[in-house]
Amino acid sequence: MTATVERGGQVVRRHHGRAAHPRRPRSSYALFLLPGVLAFLAVVVVPFLMNTGVSFTDWQGVGSPKWSGLANYRELMDDSEFWASFRHSLFMVVAMAAVPTALGLVLAAALFDFVGKHFGTRIAAVLRACFYLPQVLPIAVAGIVWSWILAPDNGSLNALLKAVGLGSLQQDWLGDPDLALYSVMGVMVWVQIGFPLVVFMAGLQRVDPQLYEAAELDGAGWWRRFAHITLPQIRPEIYVVLLWCTIAALKVFGAVYVLTKGGPGGATDVPSYFSFTTFFEKTQVGYGAAISTVLTVIILVLALVGLKFQTRAEDAEEGLRA
Amino acid sequence: MSTTRRRVVATAAVTLTGALLLASCGSSDSGSPDGGTLKLWHYEGPDSAMGVAWNEAIKEFERTHPGVKVKFEEKGFEQIQKTAPMVLNSNDAPDLMEYNKGNATAGLLSKQGLLTDLTAEAAKRGWDKKLSAGVRTTSQYDTNGVMGSGKWYGVPNYAEYTMVFYNKDLFKKYGVAEPTTLDQLTAAMDTFVSKGITPLADAGAEYVAQQYLYQLALSRADRSWVDRYELYKGRTDFHDAAWTYAATTFADWVKKGYISKKSTSLKAEDAGVSFIQGKSPILFSGSWWYGRFQAESKFDWGTFLWPGSNLTLGSGGNLWVVPKGARNKDLAYDFIDITMSRKIQNLLGNKGGVPVGADTAAITDPKAKTLIADFNTLSGKDGLAFYPDWPVAGFYDVLVSETQKLITGSEKPDAYLSALQTAYDKGAPKT
Repeated sequence: MTATVERGGQVVRRHHGRAAHPRRPRSSYALFLLPGVLAFLAVVVVPFLMNTGVSFTDWQGVGSPKWSGLANYRELMDDSEFWASFRHSLFMVVAMAAVPTALGLVLAAALFDFVGKHFGTRIAAVLRACFYLPQVLPIAVAGIVWSWILAPDNGSLNALLKAVGLGSLQQDWLGDPDLALYSVMGVMVWVQIGFPLVVFMAGLQRVDPQLYEAAELDGAGWWRRFAHITLPQIRPEIYVVLLWCTIAALKVFGAVYVLTKGGPGGATDVPSYFSFTTFFEKTQVGYGAAISTVLTVIILVLALVGLKFQTRAEDAEEGLRA
Repeated sequence: MSTTRRRVVATAAVTLTGALLLASCGSSDSGSPDGGTLKLWHYEGPDSAMGVAWNEAIKEFERTHPGVKVKFEEKGFEQIQKTAPMVLNSNDAPDLMEYNKGNATAGLLSKQGLLTDLTAEAAKRGWDKKLSAGVRTTSQYDTNGVMGSGKWYGVPNYAEYTMVFYNKDLFKKYGVAEPTTLDQLTAAMDTFVSKGITPLADAGAEYVAQQYLYQLALSRADRSWVDRYELYKGRTDFHDAAWTYAATTFADWVKKGYISKKSTSLKAEDAGVSFIQGKSPILFSGSWWYGRFQAESKFDWGTFLWPGSNLTLGSGGNLWVVPKGARNKDLAYDFIDITMSRKIQNLLGNKGGVPVGADTAAITDPKAKTLIADFNTLSGKDGLAFYPDWPVAGFYDVLVSETQKLITGSEKPDAYLSALQTAYDKGAPKT
């Protein structure tokens, strides 16, 4: 099926379906997959299986591992520190997936719709790049800079609050156990926001402008256009971003390592950092392997559920179009 | 694509991928002893006292071993700490390596048979005579990997210990004399608090806070207490008089404002910088700061040992270890010997390190003289009590996390000590 759409004087042809080219035998493509499959086996599957194997042992990282069966997993079930770290992960999902996706949507629509139209696409592109900058910065660098900003005595955030007469709001952002997790979440929102923004702006490029024009002619305001055109049209991008960011949130490590090292008093500990300290500081390699196995399985399940959900939604959309 | 051509491409792809995988998994640098290269790893910064001294030792080694090249690879502390077991199990092991001392590190590797027994060499070359008892403790490990007795698995060429660093200018400005007793130190801190200054530089996110605590405990402890705690010679009770005094005093000092509640998230670097910038008049920490303070402080400063305590934190420095699979062990022993020589030890002392075999007359810098004299005093009275995180693998993180709770007041001293007891009992070998 081929659809023709007129966009800004240009004619864009879209091909739906796979009938445009003669089908080649599948075996001829399999060869191209081979290096990727081998590399995947070597760097993902085999290490994962080895890690799973180690998780059934009581091993210190050197010498011969001693088989301990499910002991590590039983210990994990009763480990309050592990479950606390998982609760913190849920907070991270809010900070790294939910909030950036929501904010990214509004910002992308605003840049695309408002800034792009009134101030030019170049200004919109510059602003987009600014929002994306934290994604380019190594997390170690960003973390160190934020630890300066959030420092209790001479940090710039507290200095700024004091300078504008809000000295009473000064806090020990990373040192107060009631605040530290929210501070780290704030930093992660800043780090993440650029990714959904860029994906959504790219998604908006492919939305048919005639839809907006028609809606505008019908008297729909910005918010109604956003809710009834933008959101449904870029739903695939939203799924991808949510899935990607949720996975990133579940395995977040660098920011916690640089900003708080899981402290104060374990208030910001997350599973990957917990696994790291168990592996390398406590040299309980078997137990650390059990933590990472559980973490991997959870991420895998979430990813598969997310993909299934996305595929089903896409199929439904295709069905509607057809 | 023709079948033949496809087969050729497939074979090439599989071969290339296989080669890449093999290259990523295995070692390509295996071989027998060459005698012409000493492969050496250490992680001292090039400007530190140790870095300068070891670089000079490399030159001396090459001078005295014509035809032998030193292949020095600069590593990071974390890099060696986290990957040593894997490296030592492979063919990539160096001939000589700097490694951290203690049960969970060098002890663990020795227990697993990854390090060379240096006992005969230590006796033959006289290293055992050069090191004092306190410094030597970390060289020897028993069959369970517990330090203090058994075979020699490492040699420290320097020592380290903690002391009170104080800003003489600030003391003078507020009319405070150098304290010689704990009461005077407390009075001095009261004076600073009354002037709106937090007297003690602290860092709750790293070792500094736990070292204040351990020092407070040590001031009520003796050698047998340390041996129980560090060497498992008897049961350690965290609710005994020494630990209870330490936890309650520390919590009290936070309440009194000697230690800032806001130090919870600070790193050791923050505490050091706070002292260097003249914001905190007192820092209790280790000799590793000495060179840095000498280079960067713009005010007059001095040091003294913690008043009223026979014991303080300290030990021999990091160890030279010879991996079991090292190819050129004799060259490694020769290099250790050079680092133990008077020439290198004197250089180390003059650069702000604590040498274990220097000629005191050859140390010219007055501050370095004080540093070494204080160490000799400590060493003479068997005053090195190691570090609080050593007894149990992972105890460092427990101490950081729990001490943070003590600083924020979210945990009472009694609960704090109970938490330490639980973690210690879980990790320490059963006595």
